[in-house]
Amino acid sequence: MTPMKILVPTKRVPDTDQKIRVREDGSGIDEQHLPFVVNPFDAIAVEEALRIRENSADNVEVVAVGIGSDDYESELRTSLAMGADRAILVECAEVLDPWNVARILDEVVKRETPDLVLMGKQAVDDDANQAGQFLAALLDWPQATFASQVDFDERRLRVERETDAGIEVVLVDLPAVITTDLRLNEPRYASLPSILKARKKPIERIDFEQLGIAIEPRIEVLSMESTSTGRTCVRVNSVDELLDRLRCEAKAI
Amino acid sequence: MPNESLTREIFGNVDDLSKVVFYALAAASIGCFAWGVYRRARLWRRGRKTDRPISWRTVSARLLNLVALQSKVRQGRRWAGGAHCLLFGGFVVLFIGTILIAIEHYGATLVGREPTDPLFHKGLYYAVFEVVLETAGLAMLAGCVWFIGRRLRGDTSVGYRALDSLVLATLVLLGITGYLAEGLRIIHQQTPQPGFSYVGLGAARLFELIGVTRDGAAMIHLALWWTHTVLALGFIAAFPYTRLLHSIAGVVSLATRAEGLGTLSPISIEEVEETGLVGAANIEDFTRWQLVELDACVSCGRCQDVCPAHEAGKPLSPRDVVQDLRSHLNAEGRTASPTDAKETLGESITAETVWSCTTCHACVDTCPLGVDPLRFITDLRRNLVAEGGLRGAPATSLQKVQRSGNPWGLPKDERLNWAAGLDVPCVSDHPDFDVLYWVGCAAAYDRRIQKVARAMVKLLQAADVNFAVLGPEERCTGESARRMGDEFLFQELAATNLDTFTRYSVKKIVTHCPHCLNSLKQDYPQFGGQFEVVHHTQFLAELVSEGKLEISQADNSSSGKLTYHDPCYLARVNDVVEPPRELIQLTLSGTENGHFVELPRRERNTACCGAGGGRMWFDDAADTRVGVGRVQEILETEAQSVIVACPFCLTMVSDGVAATGGGVEAKDIAELLAEGLDTNA
Amino acid sequence: MRILVVAEHDRTTIRSGTRSAIGFANSVAQQSGGTVECLVLGHEIDHVAQDAASISQVLSADCAALADPVADRHAHVIAKVATERNVDLVVAASTSYAKDIVGRAAGLLGGSMASEVVGHEIRDGRLVMRRPMFAGAVTATVRLTGHPQIVTIRATAYQPPPPADEKQPITAIGIDESALPNHICFERVESKPSHRPDVTEAGIVVSGGRALKNSDDFERLVGGLADALGGATGSSRALVDAGITSNDLQVGQTGKIVAPDLYIALGISGAVQHLAGMKNSKVIVAINHDPDAPMFEMADYGLVGDVYELVPQLIEKLHAE
Repeated sequence: MTPMKILVPTKRVPDTDQKIRVREDGSGIDEQHLPFVVNPFDAIAVEEALRIRENSADNVEVVAVGIGSDDYESELRTSLAMGADRAILVECAEVLDPWNVARILDEVVKRETPDLVLMGKQAVDDDANQAGQFLAALLDWPQATFASQVDFDERRLRVERETDAGIEVVLVDLPAVITTDLRLNEPRYASLPSILKARKKPIERIDFEQLGIAIEPRIEVLSMESTSTGRTCVRVNSVDELLDRLRCEAKAI
Repeated sequence: MPNESLTREIFGNVDDLSKVVFYALAAASIGCFAWGVYRRARLWRRGRKTDRPISWRTVSARLLNLVALQSKVRQGRRWAGGAHCLLFGGFVVLFIGTILIAIEHYGATLVGREPTDPLFHKGLYYAVFEVVLETAGLAMLAGCVWFIGRRLRGDTSVGYRALDSLVLATLVLLGITGYLAEGLRIIHQQTPQPGFSYVGLGAARLFELIGVTRDGAAMIHLALWWTHTVLALGFIAAFPYTRLLHSIAGVVSLATRAEGLGTLSPISIEEVEETGLVGAANIEDFTRWQLVELDACVSCGRCQDVCPAHEAGKPLSPRDVVQDLRSHLNAEGRTASPTDAKETLGESITAETVWSCTTCHACVDTCPLGVDPLRFITDLRRNLVAEGGLRGAPATSLQKVQRSGNPWGLPKDERLNWAAGLDVPCVSDHPDFDVLYWVGCAAAYDRRIQKVARAMVKLLQAADVNFAVLGPEERCTGESARRMGDEFLFQELAATNLDTFTRYSVKKIVTHCPHCLNSLKQDYPQFGGQFEVVHHTQFLAELVSEGKLEISQADNSSSGKLTYHDPCYLARVNDVVEPPRELIQLTLSGTENGHFVELPRRERNTACCGAGGGRMWFDDAADTRVGVGRVQEILETEAQSVIVACPFCLTMVSDGVAATGGGVEAKDIAELLAEGLDTNA
Repeated sequence: MRILVVAEHDRTTIRSGTRSAIGFANSVAQQSGGTVECLVLGHEIDHVAQDAASISQVLSADCAALADPVADRHAHVIAKVATERNVDLVVAASTSYAKDIVGRAAGLLGGSMASEVVGHEIRDGRLVMRRPMFAGAVTATVRLTGHPQIVTIRATAYQPPPPADEKQPITAIGIDESALPNHICFERVESKPSHRPDVTEAGIVVSGGRALKNSDDFERLVGGLADALGGATGSSRALVDAGITSNDLQVGQTGKIVAPDLYIALGISGAVQHLAGMKNSKVIVAINHDPDAPMFEMADYGLVGDVYELVPQLIEKLHAE
C-alpha cells in the first residue's frame, strides 16, 4: 500500500466571538486587539485528516498549508499541535481572494502530489464558500463539498454531504477535494504541551513567486459597513396582544 | 488478688523437636513476609520520585486519630466501622500480647529461668493479660463474624474477592483454634485459676463434657497447637500477598498524604520539555506515594458510595479507578521488560470515565486509608488533554478561556457590563481600595448570575466597604482549566492575574464563587500569590458581627421555607459551613412564614451539584447530568427556596429544578440578604 | 450583456430561488442592456423547461448523465455553455447546489465570483454588489474583475418576475455524454418529504430552540404553529446537535440564512450565530421564558413565557379564525 498524503489548507481568520468593528472610512475591519484563530471549518478538516490517519493501517502524512504573512506561523503551529506532520507556509503579503488562493493551492498540490485535499467549506471572514470548488476545477479532480461523514471504500471515498434536499451520499474517486461541514467531527483541543512538541515539526516557507504565480485579483472590495439592526423590542403581555399587533400593526399575518 | 506465682507455662507440651520445627517455620514465614513486602515496595519505587515533606507532629496526630482511633473508619459506615474497630483492635491487642509473651519467653531463657519461673508473666499482670487477651480474641471474632455476615448478605459496593474470604476464614479459624487449644492446655496443664482465661475455660469445660481426658487433651492440644501455628505462620507469610497489606500501605499513605483538600501539584514547562510527559500515561508516571496508595485501597467502596458521578449513572467509580490502576501495577511487576506489550492505562480506564469526575473531593475526604482517587484522575486528565484527547464543548470552552479570558468567548471589554448603573469602583480609578471583590466569569457574563454580583455590590455599599473590582482586567482564575487537566492554560491565567494583583497591591480578596475562592487561596500561592481570600459568606458574616451590615428580617413570604445547599468547594474543600447558616438565620428570625430545613447530605457531606471539574462545560442532557440526585433531594424538602453560595450550584440547581418542572426558586445568599436591604431602605 | 441563469428544479417546476435569480438577472439586463437565458440541466425536464419558459428564455440540457446533481458533470456543462454562448454573467440562487456546482463552474471559468449577493447597482457601467461578511456583521460592497462574472444571489433579496402566459423560446443543448467527467458517483439523497415550504423560501418561518425537549414537542409546537400560519419550520443549532431536528432545518451562520417576512423564534436564546441566520427578517417575534434572553434585543415583539403554554394558545386562536 502506498503511503497516503493529505493536504489540509487552513486559513487564519479573526475570532468571530469578538466584536467585529468596521474602520471609520469603511476600508476594512479594525484588526487591532482582534485575536486570530484557525478557521473553525479548517480545524475540522485537520481533525478529519488526523482521524483518517488514526484509523488507517498505512502510513498517512498530514500536511497543513497556510498562505499569508509571518503571522500565520502560530495558526500553522496549532494544526501541527493537533497532530499534523508538517506545514507549508506560502508567503504572500497581499490579501487574496478565493481564486488566487485556489491557484496557489493548485501549485502546491502539483508540488506535493497529495491523494486528498481536505479543507473547510468556507472561511468565517469572507463566507465565500468558493476556494475548494475552484481548486477542484483547476485540478480537474472530483469534489464533495459540505461533508458530514467521510469513509474509505477502497480507492474511493464515500461522502455524506449536507444539502438543502437532505443528506446526499456520493462516491468520489481519489484524488479528490473534500470540503468540510460543521457536523463532520469535533476537533481536538491543542493544549500547550502539544504546542511545545509541535515546535519541533517543520514549517517549510515558500514565497508565492517561487510557485510561478502572479496574483490576478478578481474581487475588489470597495467599502464595508457594519450591519446594525436598530430594532426596539415591544414587550407584549399576552398571546392576544401579540396576534393583534402582528395583524394590525406589523401586517405580518 | 491473684497469686504471685500465677502463670502458665509457655510452650508447654511442645517438645524440643517441635520447637525447632516451629522456629524453622517461623523464620521461613517471616522471610516470606519480608520478601512480599519488599516485592511490593519495589513496585512502589517504580513511580516518580517526589518530595513529600513530612512533619512528624502531623504524622503522629494522624496515626493517633486515623489509625489508632480509626476515626474515618467509623464515620460514614457505623456498623462496618464498629466491626472493623473490634477486629482491628482485637488483632492488635493479640499481636502485642504475643510479642509480650515472646519477650517473656526469650528473656527468661536468656537469664536462665525455668519455664515455671517467669520474669513478669505472672500474678496480677498475668491475670489482666489473660482477661484482656480473651476479650480481644472475642472482639476480633465478633468483628470477623459481622464481616462474614455482610459478605453473605452481598453488600454491593464492597469489592469482594475469594482470597479475602479466605483471609477472613483464616482469622476466624485462628481465633477458634486458639481458644480450643487454650481449653485443652487448661485441661492437661491443670492451669490454676483458669477463670481469667474465661473463653478457654469454657472450651475446656466443653471438652470435658465430651469426655476428653488429661492425656487425651495433651495429644489433641498438640495437634490443635500445630494447626493454630501453621495457620498463624501461613497467615504471616501470606500477609503481603493479600489485602492485609493495606495495614502497612495504608499507614504509610495516611501518614504522608498531602495536607488538606483542594489543590494539585504544579508541573513546570521545563519538566515537560525534559520528559516530554504531562500527567500519567503509564503506571510509573504516578508518584511513588501514589503507588503506595494503590495497595492501601481495600476496595471497600465508600468512595463509590459518595461519588456524585457514580450516583448519576456515569461510568465512574473512584474505587474501580484505583483498583484498575493497581492491576496495571501488578501487570508491571509481571512483565520482564518495559517494552513488553501491555495494556495502556487508557485501555482499561476510558476517557469517559476520566471526564465524569466533578472533583468534588468526596472520595478523598471519605477514604479511611488516605487514598486520593482525585489526583489519579486529574493526572490521567492532564495526559488526555496534552495528547489531544479533549474535544467538543469542553474543548471549546478552554479555547475560549484562552482567547477571551472567559469560557463563553464573550468580549473582554464587556466584563463590567453587569455593573451598569451601580457605581462600582474599578481598581484603575480607585487604587486605594481595601478589599478586591473578585467577580468571576459567571457573574460577569451570565445574566442570571449578574444579579448575584449586583446584590453583592449593594451589600458592600450598604456596609460602606472600601472595595473595588478589576473590571476588564479580570481574567478567569483558570480553576476549571486546572481541574480539567490543562495545567498550562491555568498557569498562564494565574500568571496574568497575579501580575494584575501585584500591580494593584491586592491584599485581600472577597469572592462569591467557591471555585475562584479555592483557586485563589490554594492554587495561586504555589505561584507566589500572597493575599487573604475569603468567601462572601464569611466576609458578610464578619461585617454583620462587626455591626457594619444590618440585615433586617425581610418579608420572607416570597422565600417561604428555605433550605441551604452546601457547595462542595466551600463546605468540604475549604471547611466553610457556619457563616452561610448564620446569615440565613438572620433573615429568618422573627418571621412566621420562613423557616429553615437542612438537606440530608449537608456540610462536609454535601452532595455535588455536578458542575465542578469542568463538567459545567460538558453538554449533558438534563436527566443524565451529575447532580440530578441532589436536585431530587432538594425537591423532597418541599422548600420554596434553596439558598446557594456558588454560581455553578445556582445554575445547576436552577436548571435541574426547571427540567423536572419543580417550583423551587434558587437564590444566592447575597440575593437573599440584599432583599432584606431593599425593604429596610 | 449576456446573462445565463442556472436553474434548480425538482424535476417538475423550477425552484423559487431560481425565479428570484431570474429577477436579479432581469434587473441587471434592464439596467445595462442585455439578454437573459435560463439553463436547465437534468433528465426528462420538459415540464421544467416549460415552467421556466413562462419567465425566461430557456436552454435545456437534457440527458441521462445529468439526471442527478453531480458536481463535475453539471459544472462541466455550465462552463461549456457559458463559454460557447459567450456569456458575460452567470447567475444562480445561493443554494447548496449553486455553492457546490456553480462554484466549480466558476473555477472552470476563471474564478470571478461573488456569492450571497443581497443588493446591486450599476455604477459607471459596472456591476457593483453588496454581500455579507463576518457572519453578517459586516456588509461589503464589491466589484468583480475578469470575464465572465459569476454571481449567486440570496433568494429572499430579489423578487421573482411575474409569470407570463406566453412562453419564451426553449433551445435544446446537445450534450456529448462521453465527454462528461465520471469520477463522482451519486448514490442517493436521504430527504425528508415535507408538506411545508423550504425554510429559505417561505414568507413565514417558525423556529424552535433549546426550550423544545424532543422531536414530538418540536413537531407539535413549532410544526403546529408553522402549519397554522402556512410557514416553514426552522431550528437553532442546539436542537440539531441534540438530534431533535435535522440539519436542513438549522438557521444560522453555518446553516440556512433566511429573511422571511415574519420570523418567530420559540425558546431560542439568541446566540450570535443564530442571529446571523435571520437578522434580516422583516418582522421578528421572540417567545422565551427568560426575560433577559438576547433574542429579545433582536426582536420587534417579545412575549415572556413558557413556549409549552403559549404556543398551544397561539395555535388555537389562529385556528379559531
